[in-house]
Amino acid sequence: FQYLSEILDSSLADIRYMWTDSELKLEMEADEVIDLINALAELGRYGLSTLVNNLLRPEQKPIPFNILINGQFLRSTLQQFLTQHDLSSESTLDVEYTPALLPPLNVSSFEHDDWVSAVDVLSAASPAGGSSIASGQERILSASYDGLVRVWNTSGDVLATSSAPNNGGRITCLKTARWLSDKKFVAAGLDSVVRVYKYDEDTRSITPSVELYSHNMGVEDVAVHRPSNRILSASSDTTIALFSSSTKDNPAAPAPLLPTSTAASAKRQKLSKPERSVPARGALATLSGHASPASAVIFKPADPTVAYSTSHDHTLKTWDLPTATCVDTRTTGHALLALAALPHLHLLAAGTSARHITLIDPRASATQISVITLRGHKNAVVALDADPGSHYRLLSGSHDGTAQIWDVRNVRPSVGMAEGQVGESVYTIARESVGGGAAAGGAGAAKMHAHGEGVKVLGVRWDRDVGILSAGEDRRVQVNRAAAS
Amino acid sequence: NIDPESLLPKLPSPDELKPFPTVTAAICRGQEGRVRSVSIDPHGIFIASGGDDGFVRIWELMTGRQLWNVKLSDEDAVDAVQWRPGKEAAIVSAAAGENIYLIVPFTILSPDVEQNSRDVLDAGWGYAASKPSNTAHGVVVKEPPGKWSRPGPRLENKGVLVQTTVRSAVKVINWHRKGDYFATVSPRGQSSSVAIHTLSKHLTQLPFRRLKGIAQSAQFHPSKALFFVATRNTIRSYDLAKQELVKILQPGAKWISSIDVHPGGDNIIVGTYDKRLLWHDLDLSTKPYKTLRFHKQAIRAVRFHQGGLPLFADASDDGSLQIFHGKVVGDLMENATIVPLKILSGHKVKSRLGVMDIDWHPREPWRLGKRRKYGEESIR
Ligand SMILES: [Mg+2]
Repeated sequence: FQYLSEILDSSLADIRYMWTDSELKLEMEADEVIDLINALAELGRYGLSTLVNNLLRPEQKPIPFNILINGQFLRSTLQQFLTQHDLSSESTLDVEYTPALLPPLNVSSFEHDDWVSAVDVLSAASPAGGSSIASGQERILSASYDGLVRVWNTSGDVLATSSAPNNGGRITCLKTARWLSDKKFVAAGLDSVVRVYKYDEDTRSITPSVELYSHNMGVEDVAVHRPSNRILSASSDTTIALFSSSTKDNPAAPAPLLPTSTAASAKRQKLSKPERSVPARGALATLSGHASPASAVIFKPADPTVAYSTSHDHTLKTWDLPTATCVDTRTTGHALLALAALPHLHLLAAGTSARHITLIDPRASATQISVITLRGHKNAVVALDADPGSHYRLLSGSHDGTAQIWDVRNVRPSVGMAEGQVGESVYTIARESVGGGAAAGGAGAAKMHAHGEGVKVLGVRWDRDVGILSAGEDRRVQVNRAAAS
Repeated sequence: NIDPESLLPKLPSPDELKPFPTVTAAICRGQEGRVRSVSIDPHGIFIASGGDDGFVRIWELMTGRQLWNVKLSDEDAVDAVQWRPGKEAAIVSAAAGENIYLIVPFTILSPDVEQNSRDVLDAGWGYAASKPSNTAHGVVVKEPPGKWSRPGPRLENKGVLVQTTVRSAVKVINWHRKGDYFATVSPRGQSSSVAIHTLSKHLTQLPFRRLKGIAQSAQFHPSKALFFVATRNTIRSYDLAKQELVKILQPGAKWISSIDVHPGGDNIIVGTYDKRLLWHDLDLSTKPYKTLRFHKQAIRAVRFHQGGLPLFADASDDGSLQIFHGKVVGDLMENATIVPLKILSGHKVKSRLGVMDIDWHPREPWRLGKRRKYGEESIR
């Protein structure tokens, strides 16, 4: 694309645009480029998108493009953009176009007996899956407040359901579940035990493989790293625990945490007649430092010896796992409830009780606490996942009853005292159970009550093959997918 | 001419005083009849509530999900529910009629927390037996002011492990911060209307032989050995160590419904059935420092934020809650700054009883509304 910038430099003296092709390779005539450039100042996103379609795909059905100027979505005319950003028409602008995300349509929903708190996908594209998972053979894992984990096929049939653990009469209420491989997954919840299960595709059965004891309050989140068989768990007891998914690698379980440890509890457990005993083990390491319940934990994408965690104590902590030490603490203004990484941008996204998502650069060199704030949810943001097909997109789930899709380039400089930039969502996905569909921006949420009673979204997962999954208080996993372009 | 505006004290604008609660974040639905009392656990993850249906229920704070319940009484409402302070154990206290129950909701606890909690409740069982007969002030009384017993297999199997029976229906329970003492108020109990209970000894004592007026509420000072008792018209503070009256506050109220002591210990808020909210600065005067009149109906409950935020709230029969900024400065020369921040409505009014009780999250600016209405509570 060398010649393009040459054309721009030579033919337009007042504004020099650099046109870089981000996601498509494009061939165009010089006069087409000049037309395009001349039109730019007057056009907004729609006009430019039409131009790009005419140039790139003249014989085909138009698809929407987003136009990026200096890395930010153009939401007005170019002239207005220049004014808003205090740019002179002498400035050099980086102009890019990228196919806009199409509205994610409701594809299906999987009905449960109770609230669904978390969902995970086993697919060719998922970390636990791989090429052995053929298209159409993807498996969906769901964790429910009824204490059970279920494995589903993509048609919405339950293939296997776990049996209730024998935990001395405690409420299990699962909060989280993750595939470790195509044969193993981990689940945890209110009874504070992290359980590894085996899933047998041939017999379609789930059997417990090990019970991991470290926490003495509910577990809110787990993270897994398949190559090293490591599991992390975040608990309301404020700690993060590190386990191995191989039973024998873990030390003995701390006795006072076992359901047989107290007379009253042991009696209750005996009454429930265990059919078989499941091995019990303890943690490889316990990470202490949060002052309030821990809400979410992830491995650092490029380095599984590092973990990040969020807590109601307003902080995001970076942990060095081999030494079990906290190496960095970022303090925000609000309780943090969810966490996802955008590795390409070196950013972590944290969901807050104050209804927004804050993007944090965890590197020591970062000077701002919050780089970008994404606003649009009407209640706590309790679930986050990155788009596996984009460096920039993010999926969130909120107690307001919606899932929302964000593009971190869809931002504007913040006004007032707030740090960094502010963005709004690209699409809002309401619950199909209350007749909601996907709407652009925050529109879909308009008719919902902020408290999301009955439809709180509790868990989300974005998978390249299966789509956008959201789980919630309406006892469903809802699958949405962008219409094929 | 003097601009009257210039005479008004300069108050910060509500926007500068964030964070404070602004929206309903969750609703707990399921209690039948009115909810009369609510309390957030010391970790800030569970809510306990009690109501007309005789049930105590525990909810997940973030989601409003009901996790546990027990029916304490067929006849009496649960009028008071309070978590015992302290994070090593998890104990709920609740009152229905003349009975106070101490509960370990083990189905939501890990085995070690369950055991710690059982140990705290069990420590006192031997104590009463080791004492010959109950004597108060050297006088042998016919009946002890509080009878400590096991509530029977049905309740014990649910984790209701201790029952303390006093002479008259209990309406208020308030714990001392260390979790060994709790005070109860039985407004119709006359000389036994205010009781102080020692958990480690399973012992109930009546600190006042005679109390002028009908007791409405009682609370321990957050750090000193002082004890506050509100009757319909006055609030008295007592020195527990010296067993003497320290001060009598005169809010000028016709009928006090509730009081709360500021975490610093030098200020008290008072809610009244005659629709007023009063702020008393104990260092200033026996008369209120501020009188706030914002509600159309009786104020049922008042509560300071206990976790470091300068917030307090009241709850009214008009169905609304009012959130205030109330900043107490250590400097004796400067008085507290009080700014009304927000009215939270949304509680339905049934039979002229609106919001019955409130509690704050131990750290966050999240308020637990209580509710009123058939079975819902909201967290904001
Ligand atoms: Mg979560």
